[in-house]
Amino acid sequence: MRVLVLAGRIVRQFLRDHRTLALVIIVPSAVMGLLAYLVDEDKEPVTVGLVQQDEGFEAAPGLRLDLGNRLAEHLRRAPGILVVEADPEELARRLGDGAVAGGVLIPAGFSRELAGGSRPRFTLVLEGSVPSVNAQVQRAVQQAVQSFLSDLARATGTDVSPGPPVQLDLEFAHGGPDLATMDYFAPVFITAFVFFFVFLLTSVSFLRERSQGTMERLLASPISRLEVVVGYLLGFLVFAGVQALVILGFSLWVLGVSIAGSAWLVLLVELLLVVGAVNLGIYLSFFARTELQVVQFIPLVITPQVLLAGVIWPVETLTPVLRWLASVMPMTYAIRALRAVMVRGAEAPAVVGELGFLGGFAVAMVALAAWQLRREAL
Amino acid sequence: MALVAQADSVPAVTVRGAVKQFGPVRALDGVDLEVPAGENLGLLGPNGSGKTTLIRAVVGVLRLDAGTVHVMGERLPSRTVAGRIGYMTQSAALYEDLTVRENLRFFGGLYGLRGRTLTDRVDEVLALVRLEARAGSVVRTLSGGMRQRTNLAAVLLHRPRLLLLDEPTVGVDPELRRTLWDHFHRLNRDGVTLIVSTHIMDEAERCGRIAMLQAGRVLASGTPGQVKAEAAQPDLESAYLHFARTQGLDDGTAPMPRRRHRRAGRRGRVG
Repeated sequence: MRVLVLAGRIVRQFLRDHRTLALVIIVPSAVMGLLAYLVDEDKEPVTVGLVQQDEGFEAAPGLRLDLGNRLAEHLRRAPGILVVEADPEELARRLGDGAVAGGVLIPAGFSRELAGGSRPRFTLVLEGSVPSVNAQVQRAVQQAVQSFLSDLARATGTDVSPGPPVQLDLEFAHGGPDLATMDYFAPVFITAFVFFFVFLLTSVSFLRERSQGTMERLLASPISRLEVVVGYLLGFLVFAGVQALVILGFSLWVLGVSIAGSAWLVLLVELLLVVGAVNLGIYLSFFARTELQVVQFIPLVITPQVLLAGVIWPVETLTPVLRWLASVMPMTYAIRALRAVMVRGAEAPAVVGELGFLGGFAVAMVALAAWQLRREAL
Repeated sequence: MALVAQADSVPAVTVRGAVKQFGPVRALDGVDLEVPAGENLGLLGPNGSGKTTLIRAVVGVLRLDAGTVHVMGERLPSRTVAGRIGYMTQSAALYEDLTVRENLRFFGGLYGLRGRTLTDRVDEVLALVRLEARAGSVVRTLSGGMRQRTNLAAVLLHRPRLLLLDEPTVGVDPELRRTLWDHFHRLNRDGVTLIVSTHIMDEAERCGRIAMLQAGRVLASGTPGQVKAEAAQPDLESAYLHFARTQGLDDGTAPMPRRRHRRAGRRGRVG
């Protein structure tokens, strides 16, 4: 009976804690729903550039073969990619800044060589910095080639001769097959660890400041609200900085991850992310009364970012609603910027948009935290 | 209402029409209060009568729904005046994982104390509360009484002209309680204005003037003698009950004496 008394009390306490109840019910369904969607193959297409230089071939008088365009047609119908026409320079540039996930190059003479049975080559260039996107593009292009070939076989009434009649050359704009998986994920680890720890530590210590009464004492002193926020920021920057250096150093020297671009740019991205995370922590800690409630913010703040910010599943392949969500998450921009710098060797001007968002997020969070602190008291 | 004529004509604290609502509870319901500089005022009332809310409004950490607070002639909120106020919170508001000295240096720093001055002031308040020997101890390892003394030391560092003490002797053994009150009286003699909240009647007797609070309103105020005389009661406890009854403020707040017995028991335990 005493056991039941105890159990009854726990149930009663949970029923009173509406926030925990909501989390217990909502979080598993939301996360599972998201995951189910994310692991599903059927996602929004990624953009692939197409350079079609084949001019067709007059096989016999009145019989014109336009095989390059036929292949392009199959590519356009392939699921998972969105084909845009480009010229070679444009394609190279857009692969360079990561605007397209890949490019298909159908060379001049494709029709002639194929008609002549000399196994023409054409090229698929993968952008290279995100493995799952590489796979998605590769799969789509191979599907298109397959359907193109079977179409061709049906039209000519011939069997597919031994060995495929075309050759697909695979190239990588960045990284490439020799790029270790860790190279792709190092930017994620740097981003996620820094954001997670800084957010958690700040919100817990700020909460403690309030629960142990020292916040009251701070507010009664001549220190201004903004000074409190900035002081917290500087204190946590020291820790976040050390942590960032540890993660970076471990990635570089122990895991052998390579940084194609500037390490200073990597640190700048982290710095902006930390400023945002510290102040988001301060702001949200006002909505928690206990450390347990702070921990409950993790599924709200951290989990969606890990799932949606392009850690494994690229933002571009998400449905519009989720893509919009991802577009307001700081980790999306941090990961994108770090991948650009670390894998593609991008310079500062190339990631100025990402830096701008992270800077804006940081400033907004400082303002929000200071404002909340003002509301809390005078 | 001021009893002692003060050379300093600007009152330490002037509260006009203070109203503060917390959800369904009206913590302050139109409080007017004037505290002349150098006074020693006791705020008397049961738990939930609005003592802490009133103190927080005077310290400037609480935004009133209506009414004004002036401290030393300046309307709150004012950061300049914040540097001249000391606020001892009800429970020891200290950083548990820092030492006594580190805590004191931090709080001194908030008030702009630096270098030699800060070091001297820290030594000074440590001596005052007799904690020199434990200066290097982490607060977590201190007893309740030591924490409370550290808490007091922390508000004296910047030599405030107005000191607000929110139930400073709760959970404190009788001996320390006496020591603390000796400190308070000495500070008051040195010209520091004191506002002390309490629900312990014999503490209220030590104050120059008392204001009795119930349900966010001032029931009565004056010297302990005046209040007792006005109520025609032999002690403050009966006087409080008399005012609570005659002013018809039945808010369900437990009357004084029962609280007092419970407190007495708790004091015995904590000692």
